[in-house]
Amino acid sequence: MSEFLTETAESLDVIDSELVRFENNPEDRAILDNIFRLLHTIKGTCGFLGLPRLEAVAHAGETLLGKFRDGELSVSPPMVTLVLQAIDQIKVVLEALENTGVEPAGDDSELIGRLEDASMGRLPEQADENVPQQPENWDSDLGRELRPGEVSLADLEAAFNGTDPEVETGAEPVAEPVQHIGVGEFDPALGRELRPGEVSAAELEAAFADAEPDPTVAPPTTELITKDMSQAEALATAMAELKGGDDAVAGDDAVAGEGGVKVQQTVRVGVDVLEALMTTVSELVLTRNQLMQTIRGLEDEELKGPLQRLSAVTGELQDGVMKTRMQPIGDAWRKLPRIIRDVSTDLGKKIELVMEGNETELDRQVLELIKDPLTHMVRNSADHGLEMPADRVKAGKAEKGTIKLSAYHEGGHIIIAISDDGMGLNTARIGEKALEKGLTTHEELERMPEQQIHRFIFAPGFSTAEKVTNLSGRGVGMDVVRTNIEQIGGVIDVTSTAGKGSHFSIKIPLTLAIVSALIVGCDEQRFAIPQLAVRELVRVGAGSEHTVENLNGARVMRLRDRLMPLVDLHDVLGVGEAYNGQEDETGFVVVLDAGGRNVGLVVDNVLDTEEIVVKPLSDSLRGVHAYSGATILGDGSVIMILDPNGLAGEIVTALDEEASMEASAAKAAEATNTQRLLLVRAGGSEPKAVPLALVTRLEEFNPDTIESTNGRLVVQYRGRLMPIVPIGSEIRTVEGQRQPVLVFAENHTSIGLAVDEIVDVVEERVDMQMSSDKQGIIGSAIIKGKATDVVDIAWYLDQSRAGNIQRRTSNRRRRILLVDADAFARRMIAPLLAAAGYDVTPTGGMHEVHAIAEAGEQFDAVVGDPTALSRIRQEGLWSTLPTLAVTDWPEDTQSEGLTAVLPRSDRGALIAALDSVSQEEKVA
Amino acid sequence: MTTTHDDNSELSAESMNEYVSVRIGDQLFGAPVDAIREVFAPQSVTSVPLAPNEVAGLLNLRGRIVTAIDARRRLGLPPREADDAGMALGVERGSEIFGLIVDSVGEVLRRPRAELEPVPAHVDPTWRSMVKGVHRLDKELLAVLDVSAVIGTAGAKAEAA
Repeated sequence: MSEFLTETAESLDVIDSELVRFENNPEDRAILDNIFRLLHTIKGTCGFLGLPRLEAVAHAGETLLGKFRDGELSVSPPMVTLVLQAIDQIKVVLEALENTGVEPAGDDSELIGRLEDASMGRLPEQADENVPQQPENWDSDLGRELRPGEVSLADLEAAFNGTDPEVETGAEPVAEPVQHIGVGEFDPALGRELRPGEVSAAELEAAFADAEPDPTVAPPTTELITKDMSQAEALATAMAELKGGDDAVAGDDAVAGEGGVKVQQTVRVGVDVLEALMTTVSELVLTRNQLMQTIRGLEDEELKGPLQRLSAVTGELQDGVMKTRMQPIGDAWRKLPRIIRDVSTDLGKKIELVMEGNETELDRQVLELIKDPLTHMVRNSADHGLEMPADRVKAGKAEKGTIKLSAYHEGGHIIIAISDDGMGLNTARIGEKALEKGLTTHEELERMPEQQIHRFIFAPGFSTAEKVTNLSGRGVGMDVVRTNIEQIGGVIDVTSTAGKGSHFSIKIPLTLAIVSALIVGCDEQRFAIPQLAVRELVRVGAGSEHTVENLNGARVMRLRDRLMPLVDLHDVLGVGEAYNGQEDETGFVVVLDAGGRNVGLVVDNVLDTEEIVVKPLSDSLRGVHAYSGATILGDGSVIMILDPNGLAGEIVTALDEEASMEASAAKAAEATNTQRLLLVRAGGSEPKAVPLALVTRLEEFNPDTIESTNGRLVVQYRGRLMPIVPIGSEIRTVEGQRQPVLVFAENHTSIGLAVDEIVDVVEERVDMQMSSDKQGIIGSAIIKGKATDVVDIAWYLDQSRAGNIQRRTSNRRRRILLVDADAFARRMIAPLLAAAGYDVTPTGGMHEVHAIAEAGEQFDAVVGDPTALSRIRQEGLWSTLPTLAVTDWPEDTQSEGLTAVLPRSDRGALIAALDSVSQEEKVA
Repeated sequence: MTTTHDDNSELSAESMNEYVSVRIGDQLFGAPVDAIREVFAPQSVTSVPLAPNEVAGLLNLRGRIVTAIDARRRLGLPPREADDAGMALGVERGSEIFGLIVDSVGEVLRRPRAELEPVPAHVDPTWRSMVKGVHRLDKELLAVLDVSAVIGTAGAKAEAA
C-alpha cells in the first residue's frame, strides 16, 4: 500500500508537468501517451487494491484523455484545467488515504460528471449548474462531513475555475475572500444570526450560479463581497480555530483507525546526519589512501588481498554516500512548468519553457539553496523579460516567447543558464536608476561598457520594474538572488542585447565533494589541481622531446604543432626560482583547461594523484583567486587546491609583469588602454607599431633631397636640417618613390624616422605581452590579431642625438619617480624621460611606491597619473617634490596640489615642464 | 581550563574576569577565557603564497582546517625565531576555526572586573584597536586582547555569515 502511495504521488507530479507540456504541444503524441499510461496505471492499481473512489475519478480522467488521444476532441486550456482538477482530486483522496489508511467516503460524481460531459464534447462551464444541486458531503479541507448549508472549498474553487477562462482572470481575486466566508460564515459554531451585511449561503450560491461567462456580471459580485471584507476577516479567525479543532479530531480518528498506513519507501534524514556521514567517509577515504601509500613500497602478499578489498569497499561506500547527496537539477525545476503556466495565464503572455540538462546532478544542499533563486529568475524573465504577444509581433518576433533553462557540468562547476528572447535589459533605465541610487557617477557611466551597466541589477535594492506586479519586482530582486548564489560560492553574470533578450549564467562550484586531484610540487610545497581541469602532463627538460622556449621573454611550448602559452607556478605564486630551461633541469608542464583554453602550468614535479575532500577557503583567503579551496592529505598535511580559472586570471597579470593591484588606478587604466597606433613596415616584412600620439607629423620626401653629412642622413625641413634615422637597418629608397618619414618634434628640433611604408592607423587596446631586449623595440603586443613589435621611439631619438649636441652637462642625472597604473603608458613614458636624460624609476602601484619609500630613495620629481599622485600626496611621501600629472583628460583633472597637469600625448610639454621645474642648468 | 587560586577568591565569580595569559614579544597579554576554544601547539603549518600578510598559513587540527593568524604580524612586531613555532589559541568564529599564534601561553589569571583600565590614549593606534584594556599586575601590565579584532576582518565576516 505504501509503495502504491509513493508511486502514485510521483506519477501525479509527473502528470502535472506533463499536462502543461501537453497543453503547449497538443500534437505531441508521446507526451499524451505517457500521461495516459500513468493515469491508466493508477486506475488499474486502484481497482486491484479496491479503491473505488480513486478508480472512478481516474477512469473519468482517462476517458477524457482517451478522446484527446483518438483525436475526437481537441485540446483546450479549460479541458486541461479540468484534467488538472481531477489530478488534484486524486491527490486529496490520496492524502486522506495516507493519513487514515482507508479511502475516505465521498462523492466525486460532480467532477466525474463534468469529466464525462467534457468527454462528450460539452464544454466544462456547462457543468456549473451542477454545483448547487449536487453538493459534496465530504470536505477534505475541513476534514469532516459538510453540515447542511455548507459548501466545500473544492467546489467553490471548481465553480470558479469552471467558468469561462475569459472571466477567470477577473474573477480570481474574488475567490480568496469567498473561500473564507464560504467556510466560516455558516458554521454553527458561531451560534448566532448573520449580522447585517453578511451574506448567506443561499445568496452566495445564487451569486455563483448566476456568474455567467460574461465579464460584465463579475464586478457586482466583487462589490458584494468587498463590503464584507472586514467581517470576513473576523470570521476567518473563528474559522481557523474551528479548523484547528477539527484537525485534532481527525488526528484521533487516525490513531483509532486501522493504525494508518505511512509512506515508508523513503526515509527523511537530516542534512546534518548526511554531513557527518560524509565527513566520516572522507576520513575513511583519506586513511585508505594513506594505507595504500604505505603498502605500495612493501611486497607483502598477505596484506595486499584484504587491502584491495578494503579499498574497493571504501570506494563503493564513498560512491553510495555521494549519491545520497546528489540530485538531478530537474528536481528543482519540476514546479516551473506549472508556475510558468500560471504566470502566462495571469499576464496574458504566451510563454514556452525549454529545459535542458535536467539530469545534471548536483549536491543536494546546493540544490536546495538555488531552488528559490532559480524560480525567482524564471518568474522575472516571464514577468519583465518577455513582452506582451502584441508587442512581440510588432517587434517582428514570434508571438510566443521562449525561456530557456539549461544546466551542465564544467570543470568541477555547474553552469546554469537562464535565457529569454524578450526585450533585453533596458540599459538607459538601469543607468538612470544607478545614478539615482548613487551607485555611479555620470562620468563613470558614460565610459562604462553596456555589460557593466547591466550588472547594476545585482546591486542591493535595485529594481527597475515600473509597476510592481504581484509576481516580482518588489525591489528585492536580483540582489537577493546574487547574495544567495554567492553564499554558496557561486558567481552570477548577465549579458543582454536590447530587443533580443537576456542571458543569465550562474556558476556554482561543487563544494564538499570528494574529487580526484593531481598533487604537484613547487618550491618544496605541494598543491592540488583538480583532475577535471588537467588535460595532460608533459615532461620537459633533460631527456624529453619537449622544451620550454622563449619568445621574447614569454614562455611557450610546442605541443602537437601548436604553441601553448606557459606560466610558471613559481612566478604566479611568487615563490622560489622559475624553471629556467637549463639542460640538466627537468620540470613538468600540466596542461590545464582554463576557461576553454589550453594553458601550460610549469611545476617542479608531479607527485601523485589523490582523492581529496574540498574544504572551502577561509574568508581571509577568498580574495586570492589562485585557489579554489584547501584539503587535508592522507599524511595529515594541509595543502591548497589551485583554481585553473583563477590561475588563468593570474597568468594575465603575471605576463603583464607590473600589473597594478590598486583598484582605483586600475579603473583609470581601463579607460586609457585603447591607443591609436600607426602601423608601419620597416626593416622586415612584419608591421611595426608606433603610438600615434607621439608622432608630430607624417611627411614624404623625395629620396634625392635626403643628403648625407658627416656620416648622418639629413633633410632640409622647414628651413632647418632634420636628422633622418631609419627604423630597421637602412633606408631602402626606391627610384621615383617618395620616402615616408615620421616626424617627431621636440624643443624646436625635429627628428625624422624613415620607414618603408605606412600601413594603417588602428585603434586598439594594447596589452603589452612581452618586453624586448632588442634595441629600438619596447616589446610586442597583439595588434589586429597579430603579434606586432612596438617601436621604442625614445631609443631612436637618442640615436639621432648621438654625436650631436650633448643635451646635458650636468654631472648628476636627475631622478624621476614614475607612477602609472597603466603598464603601456609606463613603458612609453619611461624611455622618453630616459632619453631626455632623466633617471627613471617606473612603478605600477602604491605597493611598489611604498617599498621604494621605505627604502629611503630620493628623487627630483614625481611623474604619474593623477590618482596615484594624489595618493602619494595624501600619504605625505616626498611632499617637497614637484609633481607632474600626465593624463588623457587634463581638463578634467583636479590640478590642486600638483605642479602641473599635462596631456599624455604631448611629450615635449612634459619634458619642458620637467626641465623647468628642476633646478639644474638647461642646455639648449 | 584549569584556574589558579589567587588572593581575590572572596569575590564572586561574576565580578571577576578570567584570562589566558599569553606572551607576544615582550608584552604580557590576556585573552578572555570564554573567547578561547582551546590551546594547542601548531604543527606543520602550510604557508599560503599570496595570502594576506597576517595569515601565517593553514594547519590541520583533528581533521579541520584552521587558519593560523600570526599575532606578531598583526601587532607589527618582528617575526619569531625560525625554529620557534610558538603556541596557538583556537578561536571559533561562525563555522571557521582560527588559530592565533602567540609566543607562549601561561596560566589562567583572574582579575576583578572593576580593575580593568582603559588603554592610554598615546598607545599606538594599531595596538589600541586590538587591546580592550589594561590590568595592573604586581610586576607588569596585562594588556587584554580583543580576540575578534586580532583575528581581523576575516573573523568578523565569518561570524556574520
